[in-house]
Amino acid sequence: MERSQITITIALISIALFTISIFGFAIGFANDNDATMSITDDPNVAQLNLDTNSNISTFKEDSEDTYQSILDTTIEPGSGVAQSTGSFSISVGNIVGVVKNIVYLPYQTIFGGGSGFGIFFTTFLAFLVFFVGLLIYKTLRGNP
Amino acid sequence: MFLDYLYNLPNSTEGIDAIALETINIFPGFVPMLLLFIFLVVFIGGSTRQKITRGSGDYAAWAVIASIATLLPALLFSITAGFIQLDWLIIVVSLNILSAIWFFLDKRVTEV
Repeated sequence: MERSQITITIALISIALFTISIFGFAIGFANDNDATMSITDDPNVAQLNLDTNSNISTFKEDSEDTYQSILDTTIEPGSGVAQSTGSFSISVGNIVGVVKNIVYLPYQTIFGGGSGFGIFFTTFLAFLVFFVGLLIYKTLRGNP
Repeated sequence: MFLDYLYNLPNSTEGIDAIALETINIFPGFVPMLLLFIFLVVFIGGSTRQKITRGSGDYAAWAVIASIATLLPALLFSITAGFIQLDWLIIVVSLNILSAIWFFLDKRVTEV
């Protein structure tokens, strides 16, 4: 579980880019071939497409601002090192919102927006807790 | 009658589309089951084969490959009316996204 912030950020960006590309491919396929139905007929998908695109563009502006702040960093003569490392951090807030939006689509389509998703998620979390507990036990006491 | 059909036979002179559409009208679960068949063949076949040859199967990557292999016939079905419902098309796209989330958050990706 030794995941760094950069690894997580890259994974989240990759998820968002994959979602945009799959949507782009499906929408473009429907347009090119005059298909009788397109995935944008569903309001959830159309909204998610807009949200993901705007989240990615916000992230791009954020990272450009951060990079500009790195370029603008000045070190006074004799002061040693830079006082703050704030210029080296990229805000992950917007990009986490991407995944929240993206997970909302399976929640609506596969589980119908009902309590089924909660049951699925609770079971999945319970499995993770059990798995981590077993891992800790095996690390301390060996194979049960 | 000696040979009593359970359903009306489709008109074969209208092309193979009519036969497929008539089959789907009689049994609406035909397309979802076909898509599930494609997904499971690629997913189980690929990951099992990789596990035999390399010792460990990359299940997340095969889930992505299998869901993309499912998306392509689903998109082809969407060209003609009556083949696939919009709900199933959206579910296939959602499956793509879910498997991509699994793949990109998988620990194995960081080891590349």
